[in-house]
Amino acid sequence: MPTEPDLVVQTRKLTKRFGKITAVDELNIEVYRGEVFGFLGPNGSGKSTTMGMLLGLIAPTSGTACVFGMDIRKRLPQILKRIGALTESTGFYPYLSGRDNLKYIAGNTGGITRARIEEVLELVELKSRGNDPFSSYSLGMKQRLGIAAALLGDPEFVILDEPTNGLDPAGMKEIRQLIASLGQQGKTVFLNSHLLHEVQQVCSRVAIIKKGRVVTQGSVKDLLNRGDCLQIRVTLPDKAVDVLAGQDWIGSVTREDERILLEVKPELASKVSAVLAAEEIYLTEMKARENTLEDLFLELTGEAVK
Amino acid sequence: MMKLITGELNKLAKRRMTWILVVVMVVYFAIILFATYGVVSSPPERMSPDIVAQIRASLQFPGAFDTIFSTARTILTLLVIILVASSIGNEYGWGSIRQILSRRGIRYQFVVSKLVSLIFYALIGLVLALITGFVLVLIIANMLGPVAWDFITAGYTGEMAKTFGWTLFCLLPYIALTAFFAFLGRSAIAGIGGGLGFYFIEAILVTIFNQSGGWLAEIPAFLIGPNIDALVPASLFTQGPFGTSGDLPSVLHASIALAIYCVVLISASLVMFEERDIVLQ
Repeated sequence: MPTEPDLVVQTRKLTKRFGKITAVDELNIEVYRGEVFGFLGPNGSGKSTTMGMLLGLIAPTSGTACVFGMDIRKRLPQILKRIGALTESTGFYPYLSGRDNLKYIAGNTGGITRARIEEVLELVELKSRGNDPFSSYSLGMKQRLGIAAALLGDPEFVILDEPTNGLDPAGMKEIRQLIASLGQQGKTVFLNSHLLHEVQQVCSRVAIIKKGRVVTQGSVKDLLNRGDCLQIRVTLPDKAVDVLAGQDWIGSVTREDERILLEVKPELASKVSAVLAAEEIYLTEMKARENTLEDLFLELTGEAVK
Repeated sequence: MMKLITGELNKLAKRRMTWILVVVMVVYFAIILFATYGVVSSPPERMSPDIVAQIRASLQFPGAFDTIFSTARTILTLLVIILVASSIGNEYGWGSIRQILSRRGIRYQFVVSKLVSLIFYALIGLVLALITGFVLVLIIANMLGPVAWDFITAGYTGEMAKTFGWTLFCLLPYIALTAFFAFLGRSAIAGIGGGLGFYFIEAILVTIFNQSGGWLAEIPAFLIGPNIDALVPASLFTQGPFGTSGDLPSVLHASIALAIYCVVLISASLVMFEERDIVLQ
């Protein structure tokens, strides 16, 4: 069993089957206190089902899930008191105003003051529209209200399912900053987003799942540092590929149209240049290629997100 | 739990549909009572004087109280089915059920708070219905002649209180039934379809069973409608959608049968809601 000071979430062989379909298959993930954890996967990979299980909305078929060291099957009410969740953007009453929706949630949760309601409305910039019916809100405003609801109880652990859905670029940036600030405040954030650039910017660790199974899990830094890569353009690309493929200190050589990708440490750039020059092949461009989460995601899942 | 119930009551009060249902109830009362008055004031030629006198008595006190209670029972049953189905079913449609359950984790509290608040609204609805009916009948009774109040005694008032209690009690099986269907189908449509479908189909079946004889004629005693008819007075015009009640069960039988319906349906809703996953539809 995980110890509370370190682990906020720990799942062991967590499985959910809906009839013959296995939505989550022996999932093992760990989320540590104070980190912003990205949970990535293609549509239908089991992300929402996993979130549903952590929130007690969906019963696991087998395996265990502990939050704050407590089993979700045994101590769900105690766990939920410490969690704030944005599970979907439209989980509100359309005929109530944004403010009344938050008041209703506050009444259910208990211990939330009116001042706190105003505070979270201010935080998501909905204070001026707080008395308007939820049904009149734009998708972005609905999403903001969802985030406000998640933060209402000042939770230790925040679960956000696609928090930037429907937001414009400025709104996305604000939410990104908000998520980063939650991490700085020592809160643990579990972020499900298909915007990999966004995840790369705010998450310290990620897990990528495919067909309900974790295909990789680790710190963003470590995952992106896997395999150094140089990207070059040359005068004679076909000949260059032949020459470079014959060098045993180069891991792999891949042709991408006019570009050639070399699996080699960037420090050996001058050696690459010298080898090519000796064969009268001249560089027109050379740069270290940065790995992105998107590249990693595509490599591991074999499909684009969304 | 009290917070949940208070929240539910506030939500229903702020919902436009609740007030539309109140208007529907008032309009229904007005149509039924004034149409009846129309029959009394200019009866059709083929209608016998005895029937006309009977109808006239149903619009004058004290007989009018039976008319008010039975009319209230009929319209409230239909409106309560709609209110219960939409109150529960829309939680699934709007996704708000996830918002609530991801904060509490004790599911039975959700079911109980819904049922308690809906029963409370049924109680308010019944009071409003009786006030509406009383005011309209008072107007009509004055139009038919002088109104005498000498029938009001302590005993009569006690009977009225008892009838009020039975009328409210008779709404409970339909609240439980509709809630069950709304939870089962996870939608308002399922609740309305199940509740209204049962109400009308049962009435047809009761008519058929009553006319069949033999053991089939015993079945209606175990259905909801005939047991309700045994507890709440039915006037000439409002004894269920198809008007035939057959031999009614005793009050004891009816109250036990309806209580069993309530307990079974509420228990089934609780177990079902506790066991099932909350997934988006």
